[in-house]
Amino acid sequence: MTAIAVHGFAQCITCHAWSPDHSMVAFCPNNNEVHIYKSVQDNWERIHVLQKHDQIISGIDWSVKSNRIVTASHDRNSYVWNLEGSEWVPTLVILRLNRAALCVQWSPKENKFAVGSGAKTVCICYYEQENNWWVSKLIRKRHDSSVTNVAWHPNNLLLATTSTDGKCRIFSTFIKGVDTKDSKAGAFSDSKFGELIVQLDLSFSWAFGVKWSPSGKTLAYAGHNSMIYFVDEIGPSPLAQNVALRDLPLRDILFVSERMVIGVGFDCNPMVFAADERGIWSFIRFLGERKTASASKYGSQFSEAFGKLYGQPRQDVGNESVESSRLRGIVHENCINCIVPLRERRVSTIKRFSTSGLDGKVVIWDLEGQADLSQYL
Amino acid sequence: MANALRLYLSCIRNTLEAAMCLQNFPCQEVERHNKPEVELKTSSELILNPILICRNESEKCLIETSINSLRISLKVKQTDELENILTKKFLRFLSMRAEAFQVLRRKPVQGYDISFLITNYHCEELQKQKLIDFIVQFMEDIDKEISELKMSVNTRGRLVATEFLKQFI
Repeated sequence: MTAIAVHGFAQCITCHAWSPDHSMVAFCPNNNEVHIYKSVQDNWERIHVLQKHDQIISGIDWSVKSNRIVTASHDRNSYVWNLEGSEWVPTLVILRLNRAALCVQWSPKENKFAVGSGAKTVCICYYEQENNWWVSKLIRKRHDSSVTNVAWHPNNLLLATTSTDGKCRIFSTFIKGVDTKDSKAGAFSDSKFGELIVQLDLSFSWAFGVKWSPSGKTLAYAGHNSMIYFVDEIGPSPLAQNVALRDLPLRDILFVSERMVIGVGFDCNPMVFAADERGIWSFIRFLGERKTASASKYGSQFSEAFGKLYGQPRQDVGNESVESSRLRGIVHENCINCIVPLRERRVSTIKRFSTSGLDGKVVIWDLEGQADLSQYL
Repeated sequence: MANALRLYLSCIRNTLEAAMCLQNFPCQEVERHNKPEVELKTSSELILNPILICRNESEKCLIETSINSLRISLKVKQTDELENILTKKFLRFLSMRAEAFQVLRRKPVQGYDISFLITNYHCEELQKQKLIDFIVQFMEDIDKEISELKMSVNTRGRLVATEFLKQFI
């Protein structure tokens, strides 16, 4: 098994993030709070509850260098939390949104963060010293539907977004006074804020989970039509590859290395995709053990069918679900909607990552000792 | 006969398995709202193509999917007037108690006898496999239940008629 630790924290987890040293995990238990747990001698203890939002929290990101947490919520707000002493102090972000915020991510330099929203806009937020708050600049009128996910290019300038109109777009986010013009950003260094660089129209259905490869050369995102798309040579003539799955669609993906991607989603089992020497991407295998047979027993009485559903959500499923998951050998029992890397310092490849889903578990996976996968790392 | 029914049900089961990929999704049109998109139909891009599975003219199943909700509408076999009345009464009885079933819709979609509405909240609380089992089991049992009801009505009718006619002997 590659799952090295399973923690059932809550009934349902919408998103989670790790502290820089991986000793603490912050997650939203499907409500308006963020819970922070710390590992104390093999046990997890709740040390903080962040309460400020008044609707479900859809995104959390914990910055590595500055140790700040940013949260985004369906209540249209976003907060940046700073650890002062032993308390997390929130700072309101003026997002200027009139719909729910759906996702959030710190930029690689951590001087900006991006928020995707149901208002069909993306907010790029940065800190304004004189007013002591985070202000946002909006990218408007580019998306035809809600922005489901955002991803920063390693150069801190380009931002990729996926949206429920099925498109993946790449924008420049150069902000005067925050970013400096340098030659490192390559061809896109002199583009203005909010300029649409590429629009990828590959998916026929909603697009989710966009990510850049560690070098920023490859972009990948998932479509709800059970496809995953890999795009190389971002620019005027991008090179795209489609990989179709035979299983249920993906919700989020993660680049482990330049040549390997982990996808998670409605199939409750992480999938491994890898590129061969020629750069052709394909599905390799499931990371957890594959299900053998679905254990379904039918009752004969009408009343039994009702009993199956009525009055036994959650409380009673405990025993049975443990049994059935053991039968199937799958760690997650419901849709996985979040995958986060556990990045070691000064190591470029990612060996460990964690997943969380609607079954309320946070699972840590380790790729060490997977002989067939080590060639792609 | 039984074989054909099994095919019909397994087709529905497989379709539901693929269709039940729902997620929390706030309303794009109204501030701070979160409504089943399949009911509102405000943004066309959030609705998937509906799927109609027909066994024959009188038995069909319509599955409509959106990003955060799924609607299943059933038309139950009614060969004669008695079955028609029994189905109507029986399904009305169930619809009146819709909140006890959580996923049952209070009113069926037009042209259908009974409708289920499954949202992302149901998928969070209940097991997907069990939800699908419930729907399929429901369809399996509804025919049985109706024919049993019909049989008991007929038996009772015969008994009453016999008793009534005894006085003329």
